[in-house]
Amino acid sequence: MSMTQELLKARTSLENNLRELLGIPVFLIEMDAFALPCGCGGVTINTRGLQLDDLEIFEEHILKHLTDTVTSLEIEPSFLFARLIPGTAEVASINARMLCSSCYMDFGRGSGKQPRPDIYIMRFDRRE
Amino acid sequence: MKLYVPHVGHFEGLEELLNCSDNIYAVYMAGSPDYIGTGRTNLSAPKLDEIAEQTEYAHSKGVKMEIVLNSSCMGGQQLTPEGYRAIDWYFDKLNTIGIDSITVADPYIVEMLAKDYDMDVVVSVLSFVDTPQKAEFYEQLGATTIVVDPAVNRHFDKLEAIRDTVSCKLKLLVNEACLYQCPFRYAHFNFFSHANGPGPKPNVLDDYYYYKCLSLRIKDPQQIIKSPWIRPEDLKEYKHITDTFKIGGRTHFVNWILNNVEAYANERYDGNLMDLLDSIKDLKDTFYIPNSELDGAIEQWKKCDKVCHKCGYCKRLAEKVIYRYSGSGDEIRKIPLGPVGDRK
Repeated sequence: MSMTQELLKARTSLENNLRELLGIPVFLIEMDAFALPCGCGGVTINTRGLQLDDLEIFEEHILKHLTDTVTSLEIEPSFLFARLIPGTAEVASINARMLCSSCYMDFGRGSGKQPRPDIYIMRFDRRE
Repeated sequence: MKLYVPHVGHFEGLEELLNCSDNIYAVYMAGSPDYIGTGRTNLSAPKLDEIAEQTEYAHSKGVKMEIVLNSSCMGGQQLTPEGYRAIDWYFDKLNTIGIDSITVADPYIVEMLAKDYDMDVVVSVLSFVDTPQKAEFYEQLGATTIVVDPAVNRHFDKLEAIRDTVSCKLKLLVNEACLYQCPFRYAHFNFFSHANGPGPKPNVLDDYYYYKCLSLRIKDPQQIIKSPWIRPEDLKEYKHITDTFKIGGRTHFVNWILNNVEAYANERYDGNLMDLLDSIKDLKDTFYIPNSELDGAIEQWKKCDKVCHKCGYCKRLAEKVIYRYSGSGDEIRKIPLGPVGDRK
């Protein structure tokens, strides 16, 4: 299966899972694979209809679906987070990112689920 | 030395910031965008009770709290009775909370704040105070402090003239790194002010000015050298102007902010200058500029008349000190920039 087909399949499957779980019309409007010059890589999934409350209440279940999705794309699920629209509770995107050593420090030095008010961390595996 | 340090706006961030550094004199953060908004991107919209909690915490650590409400354009709303009442109500609440200072850009609001409240009135960089005359006007309107337009950070004659003209305090923004004499400056901040203000907010997909700014620097990297940032090592050259310096960057992670705090507090940074610069952080994986190789450049800038096509100093310096990254992650390589200026 090509990478594009994998992404198409993963987007649909995750969207269905979230709709079923939350019982609301969540839309995953775009799923992108990315590679950054610093060395980070992963996927970002732009969302509409998802709120911070949904993440907090159903975090365990959302995390499972998201982990399954990114694992199916051969992405390490060691850093999963949501991006909020600044100043609101709207979730702009959910993301899986394989952190480079430099960006790891941005998150690794901090503690808590919101290192910045627009970022909500669902999973962050600390390195030894 | 008094360092004013950016804060992203939530309690956890403040706690982390203040627990990790003793070199912070004051923190500043955006207030609620429902009343005035700011001329920069906001990552949070703290409510009054959150501002109160954070202010109390900062004060318990001996750190002052500044709220930034520096929209450069409010579409005239501030002059309407409804607009005035809303702003007046908000200022009153902030005053009651015990906020130490408010940074604003609009002259009308400078005057309003100075007349009716106990909080110090800080004139924002977005008031573009770049001459002694403008500084004098703002002082007469009631400014307690003026943050001088960084466009004149390397015009020592103007800085000294401003210092000699006014008796209010001066603050210098050290790492903003906007383009020198940027053609987008007013339009960009006006756009931000509406996007981060009370509304109606523009439904804009992309920030033309920001992308254009990055693109110009990639095409012509000498623009990075010409940006009027102040290196940590060069703070001593400004101490006859002021002892108060502001670090820009309230949209960055605490880790990034702390790196800047330590660099400016120690007046030394061994690393990539790009690590310290605020507005062009997206280019930190594109260019490497060993900060130590900029030692002494300030001597040229102190006497520079800013006629670049005749001087060429920054162009030559860019060619000498800037490296371009190639590859990514562990396989990254640094390639000397070489000749610049002829790229189309």
